[in-house]
Amino acid sequence: MNMKRRNSLPTVCVVGLGNVLMGDDGFGPLAVDKLRCEYECGTNIEILDLGTPGLDLAPYLYGKDLAVIVDAVTAEGKPGTVRTYRESNFHNSRVPLRLTGHDPGLPEALAQIRLVGRGPSEVVVVGVIPESCVFGGGISSTVLAASSHAVNNIIQVLRERGFDCRKRRDPEPPNLWWLADGTSTDARPARTVPAAHV
Amino acid sequence: MTKRITIDPITRIEGHLRIDVEADGGSVQKAWASCTMWRGIETILKGRDAREGWVFAQRFCGVCTTVHAMASVRAVEDALQLEIPANAQYIRNLILIAHALHDHIVHFYHLSALDWVDITTIPVANSAHAAAIADGVSSWPGNSHHELEAVQSKVKGLISSGQLGIFSHGYWGHPAMRLSPEMNLILFAHYLQALEFQRKACQVVGILGGKTPHIQNLAVGGVMNAINLNSLATMNMDRLGMLQSLLEDLVPFVQQAYFVDVCLLAASYPDWFRYGRGVTNYLAVPDLPVDAKATKFDLPGGVVTNGNLASVCSINDWHDQPIRGAVAEDLTHAWYVGGVQPPWKGKTDPDYTDFHEDGKYSWVKAPRYDGAPMQVGPLSNVLVGYASGHQLTRKWTDLAFQRISAAQGGQLRIGDMQSTMGRYLARAIRSAMLSDLAHKHWQLLSDNIVKGDDTTYNPPQFPQHEVMGVGMHEAPRGTLSHWVVVDKGTFSNYQAVVPTTWNASPRDQKGVPGPYESSLLGNPVADPEKPLEVLRTVHSFDPCMACACHTLDASGREIARVKVL
Repeated sequence: MNMKRRNSLPTVCVVGLGNVLMGDDGFGPLAVDKLRCEYECGTNIEILDLGTPGLDLAPYLYGKDLAVIVDAVTAEGKPGTVRTYRESNFHNSRVPLRLTGHDPGLPEALAQIRLVGRGPSEVVVVGVIPESCVFGGGISSTVLAASSHAVNNIIQVLRERGFDCRKRRDPEPPNLWWLADGTSTDARPARTVPAAHV
Repeated sequence: MTKRITIDPITRIEGHLRIDVEADGGSVQKAWASCTMWRGIETILKGRDAREGWVFAQRFCGVCTTVHAMASVRAVEDALQLEIPANAQYIRNLILIAHALHDHIVHFYHLSALDWVDITTIPVANSAHAAAIADGVSSWPGNSHHELEAVQSKVKGLISSGQLGIFSHGYWGHPAMRLSPEMNLILFAHYLQALEFQRKACQVVGILGGKTPHIQNLAVGGVMNAINLNSLATMNMDRLGMLQSLLEDLVPFVQQAYFVDVCLLAASYPDWFRYGRGVTNYLAVPDLPVDAKATKFDLPGGVVTNGNLASVCSINDWHDQPIRGAVAEDLTHAWYVGGVQPPWKGKTDPDYTDFHEDGKYSWVKAPRYDGAPMQVGPLSNVLVGYASGHQLTRKWTDLAFQRISAAQGGQLRIGDMQSTMGRYLARAIRSAMLSDLAHKHWQLLSDNIVKGDDTTYNPPQFPQHEVMGVGMHEAPRGTLSHWVVVDKGTFSNYQAVVPTTWNASPRDQKGVPGPYESSLLGNPVADPEKPLEVLRTVHSFDPCMACACHTLDASGREIARVKVL
């Protein structure tokens, strides 16, 4: 579907979705940070914490060959269960009325960029069933534990498709700044300003 | 017979905006706006390090991340009376401009254009004729016959497949849809092109902010961008060049496609300048400071009351005393404990009662300015600017009026802007202004750097006593203010008075409705089952209820419904 340039590597984005201030909804950002800390991935793989972008997801999926979406999902099952979905599993052709820009916009963002021929040809969702998504609730131990499982699933998805990911020899712990104690300065994000990749 | 129409998004775990209207004789007689999700965002900031507030504030909302980060650092800087370097002002301004352009483009094309554009008529459009129409009003290169033909064939494919997908919820064939097939084709072609340009706006934010959507470069006291023209890893000529070339791509889309499209739309739906007036008090705060001390601004602030532009009262800078004393939040009809509170003393203790139209019915507080409701947003920007003789506002507003008159014949007056269509047009005017200002602030930044100024940060000093501050920003949806109380470097209170609380506010203690609610009175509703016209007016405000929990629904359940009683 993409207009691939010759001699260029296929591109991937691994996207963590969810609001870190809403308890287990912060699973996506947590899992992608854990992935970044534990694995070294090729430069053609972008690992992004996108929060809750609604329709603003589109620019980040634009031009990618594979999109791996990591998010909390509403599904039957025990909290902490990690499942990998293919697009046909979750995608419903009926997209409802939209009142605000906030309603989760994955199907719409995908459909839009595919209409212009710049959408990913494959989308995989690695989802966790949350225990509780309340404001300022912190992440539940069940879902925190499930993040390792999610990282393994993401790595499996990438490796099965021939993408390069190596386990780091000295992994750092993920930066869970939003769970840090209120007055601590650990909450500060990295002060380095890397080149932008959008 | 009176019909009650409820439009209620049922987003899986969270809910957002619910609109209830009573319609009789084809128009709305009463309206209620309710936010169906609790915003407890301020409570998590209490007790935190004031230098870090912005990191949390930019997670309030998934769409308006940057604006909360900016208001938060400005609030703490105000409390400390801390100046920031000129470079920091310009870098922040460029981020805010790019963010706003992104937001306005997405609002028009992707969130609201399809309230006016019926894509199902595109297959019968004469694409050569469409190209001639577009060519007659704009030099935009994306209007070629070839381009429009390609878009038409995409839409034909979509419709013949029977799978409209994301477009399946449109009110296609609704009697209020009145554009010609050719116009529908032109606007939808730009809907698709907009995907490329909103991305360029994000790239500008990314280059300056280090990361998007959550920028990393802010600090209380300035920005953390290192400036060194000789270093590859910092803000250097290469980066400045990248920014310039992105702006050179982005600005023509805004001025030659988006601005022109909204003028065409306005000329085709002139009756929508008669609906949606609502609250006619307007508030805008000054923004885009052009000096380190923030004494001069490129976007003027002020207050207009009762729709009378001659009444404009300027807000010259962020130290303006009247605004600090005028803002209070009325909790009478909101699900919180308390009466009327100034933000610095504001509390956020929930008191949920279910939806009672004469009692409490929303999680949105009702901000009031000297006791009166205010409308905020691009329309307030434009009216305040126009009323105070702001040159850039006049230039683009007059140009829009000339274009609309040329297409439609009638003569538009500034008073007509106080309407549903006026809000769409004001957003396009503001975008055109911001595009001019993007070039200007890029130039200010590069001139200052070339001159040898590389300072970006003044370290904050926190006193051992309590200080109060307010951080203001004229965000895409309007006036945003964060009100903070800082005690020995940590927050002892934090209240965010956001644009959507001004606009979506419920009634107050005097029973006076907020802007959404009053703008719907008299709004036409041809078919209660398909309240397209109600959506047009609600969408004209660009609703953005503070972001909530966001989970994907594996079962694909509906997220909004219309209920008619």
